[in-house]
Amino acid sequence: MAEIKAATPEWMLAARQTGSCIPTGERLKPGAIERTVRGLSRALRETVFAEKVASRDGLLQGVDPRAKLVGLLGLLIVAALVRHWYVLLGLYALTLAAARLSRISPWFFVKRVWLFIPIFAGIIVLPSLFNVVRPGDPLWTIWDFGREVTFGPWSLGESLAVTRQGLDGAVLLVMRVAVSVSLAMLLTLTTRWADLLKALRVFLVPRIFILILSMTYRYIFLLLGLASDMFVARTSRMVGPATPGEDRRFAAGSMGTLLGKSHTLSDEIYAAMISRGYNGEPMSMHRFQMRAHDWSWLAAAFVIGLVAMGGDRFLG
Amino acid sequence: MHIPDGYISPQTAGGLWAMMVPAWYWAGHKVKSTLSTRQAPLVAIGAAFIFVIMMFNIPVPGGTTAHAVGGTLVAVVIGPWAAVIAVTVALVIQALFFGDGGILAIGANCFNMALALPLSGYYSYRLLSAGSRPASTRQWIAAGAGGYVGVNVAALLTAIEIGVQPGLFHSADGAALYSPYQLSESIPAMMIAHLSLIGFVEASVTALAVLYLQRTNAGILNNFGAAGRSVSAYGPAATAGNVTGFKLRPLITGVVLLLVFAPLGLLAAGTAWGEWSPAEVGAKLGFIPEGMRRLSGIWSGIMPDYALPGQGETGFWGAVPGYLISGIVGLGLVGAIAYGAAKLLSRRAERTG
Amino acid sequence: MDDSRRHMGAPYEEAFKKDAAGIKAPVNNAPEVEGRKNMVIFEARGVGYRYDDDEALSNVSLNVHAGERLALLGANGSGKSTLLKMLDGLIFPTEGSIHAFGEELSEAALRDDGFSRAFRQRVGFVFQNSDTQLFSPSVREEIAFGPLHLGISLEAADERVEDTIHILGLQHLSDRPPYHLSGGEKKKVALASVLAVGPDVLLFDEPTAGLDPKTETFLARLIVQLAAAGKTIITATQDLRLVAEIAERVIILGEDHKLAGEGTPSEILGNRELLLAANLIHDHPHRHNGIEHFHPHSHLKDHHRDEE
Repeated sequence: MAEIKAATPEWMLAARQTGSCIPTGERLKPGAIERTVRGLSRALRETVFAEKVASRDGLLQGVDPRAKLVGLLGLLIVAALVRHWYVLLGLYALTLAAARLSRISPWFFVKRVWLFIPIFAGIIVLPSLFNVVRPGDPLWTIWDFGREVTFGPWSLGESLAVTRQGLDGAVLLVMRVAVSVSLAMLLTLTTRWADLLKALRVFLVPRIFILILSMTYRYIFLLLGLASDMFVARTSRMVGPATPGEDRRFAAGSMGTLLGKSHTLSDEIYAAMISRGYNGEPMSMHRFQMRAHDWSWLAAAFVIGLVAMGGDRFLG
Repeated sequence: MHIPDGYISPQTAGGLWAMMVPAWYWAGHKVKSTLSTRQAPLVAIGAAFIFVIMMFNIPVPGGTTAHAVGGTLVAVVIGPWAAVIAVTVALVIQALFFGDGGILAIGANCFNMALALPLSGYYSYRLLSAGSRPASTRQWIAAGAGGYVGVNVAALLTAIEIGVQPGLFHSADGAALYSPYQLSESIPAMMIAHLSLIGFVEASVTALAVLYLQRTNAGILNNFGAAGRSVSAYGPAATAGNVTGFKLRPLITGVVLLLVFAPLGLLAAGTAWGEWSPAEVGAKLGFIPEGMRRLSGIWSGIMPDYALPGQGETGFWGAVPGYLISGIVGLGLVGAIAYGAAKLLSRRAERTG
Repeated sequence: MDDSRRHMGAPYEEAFKKDAAGIKAPVNNAPEVEGRKNMVIFEARGVGYRYDDDEALSNVSLNVHAGERLALLGANGSGKSTLLKMLDGLIFPTEGSIHAFGEELSEAALRDDGFSRAFRQRVGFVFQNSDTQLFSPSVREEIAFGPLHLGISLEAADERVEDTIHILGLQHLSDRPPYHLSGGEKKKVALASVLAVGPDVLLFDEPTAGLDPKTETFLARLIVQLAAAGKTIITATQDLRLVAEIAERVIILGEDHKLAGEGTPSEILGNRELLLAANLIHDHPHRHNGIEHFHPHSHLKDHHRDEE
């Protein structure tokens, strides 16, 4: 040990560190790095969760991925075409039922849809409710100016009011987003990703594209792991918060590192592929088979779509 | 910038899908001929990389964060057409598995971010860096400028696709069926944020990453960068023409900048932003600048209410002008940049070769 | 682990013999290996490799015989991985030549579909980093990748996958995606994906790097059993303990990227000067019974896990 002692500077061997371990009550604000790490680990957790749901024994899990993809895509188009919010409400109720039958917790399903996506959609749509942004028939006058108010070249009109057209459009948009997101969630939560990607063959997506998609999905996890290691390593070395400038340089540096590692990785993967006989023509194991209940699912989706479109036309 | 389902009509979405199919076909053809059997792992890892860096939060002035798209950076490293496929793959996975962007809107999102962004970004980079050595300062500055151009072209196309909706699709009494905001509102909402902030985030990330690679891993920049040198240990890698010395450069730079900024300037002029703007920006881009939020409480700008030609026609065919407009503008922008770059580069190659 | 050990032993060797015999190359570019114990399968003559301006390997000549257990021993950066990749036809010598099964291994030769298939079926490569080798969506598909791409029917591939899963005791993992596996499980799946092709020659690059002791023991036993089943085994490693277990001939690559020595494991491991010169052992302070002293010490695997 004598040699090590002689070669090691005094400060490294000193036991005492400056500062006490007593909390000072100052909170470190979560910076960009922490948020990135949290985002990365959330993405990982969510996919693990999705795989779990996909392996449950439920209604949609039992449907052939190709039939499921075609059916849900058809309903997605119907949801995009209808013009009445109550038709969308009906479709939404059906997605809830499908979620329940596919053993997805309804609370989770509703929360996931309504807590995040349409609230953003709702905020975006809010200004369009008012006559100052979109002219229309006033439904509820908030503030009557009594005369036309102008700011330089811009006119505010004579009153501030919520319009019927604005409200209709806003409800329609929010409902449409909710139904679309619910349908997409039903698809991805009840299908293993590998099966979903292979089901894309029904739309004549080339095999090479499906191979690339599945490899991308697989290596996202490796790169997410590498990225969060870099961020965690940095956080653990940091004393006090970093300035935004430091964070930016670090983000760019880690992207560069990641890109370099990605490039090496793709070289190695390529070698591993050709070593096992890959010659540019991808092959894969297909084991899909359309059975009676797959056809009945398709028929059900078709009828639901037809009823929704017909009802929508009937309502004018 | 990811358009969710519900914001654009299925007709617009379908039209953009139809435009993307030949683009994907062409990209696949180009990639196969340049990368041959290497394409699968290289493009897949490029796509995984794009996916991951879209999750990196980057601090912007105002105390919040934004994220980069990375399409230009990937185009610089693996080539523009391989980048088209790589960004497409990343977007498809985001839409299918992470609910980021709609499924019907994949065509539209790919048109903006997987086609227009990497192509305009890459060819801007090639133009600005033509003649410089791989290790030169101009390389990373050009990459940054390419990132800025690419992201703004994509944002403009997004704004146009969203902005044509209310004029084309509304009910008999004028209620919007999809996005309620018009071009005069959507363009400034997107472009002010992108021209002033997001574009610079993309630019600085692209530039710094290229600078970092120049110092640590120069080999991988040579693939499609200024010098054509094989970088892969396994089999042949694609080579790009060796480009050196370039006299028209300053002129071209000016023209490209004018091309990109002039129409944006015209579109943004005479408009102001209202309370919807930060929310739009916030939801679509993941951040709301503090200052913008405060300002928006005070301000309540009014848009001149002008209608698009074709307003009132709401049938299926009423949609045609919607995607035609964004298509023409997008292809025009990308085409002008790409054509100019290709023309100049090939003329140069003839002269030296 | 215990699960998989149950499947080792006699039935396991049987399975591999059956498997090896079951493979028929579609064309006869390469001669049959079965039954020709002394046949030279790899012949390297003055092989060198340069990448950009760095030299990775210089003037290496060696023969590998069918059924042989060979270890390539060398420190990090000595070029043993490079040599292994050249033997698998993944990279090609910039100087000298390598012949495999009597045919020169070159880019042109491997572009020939017949030769390429026959060669890839005969030679399997287990990479150091299992992640690069596990690129498929599930364990089952990973194992099927090799057989399917070498032109075996879906049904036959299915049977091979089942056999391989059974032999290595991977039943509980078969539908899992590869990123949810532990390091040891990944290594087993990578090995399964290579064994499913049914190669006569197996190349291992640092097989025990980063593995837990249990998997390490499993792997060493497996290599011995594969050799007993008639496979040719070439292992690149710097783990001296492993060499004694799995090799009958050892080749040392020096830090100058040249051959530094050759011999049986006992000859090589007993040659302290040679091992010191090749940077495979170093003097290391030690404490026995409270007395501090130096004696030579090998680089144990975890010392230098990340080669790249």
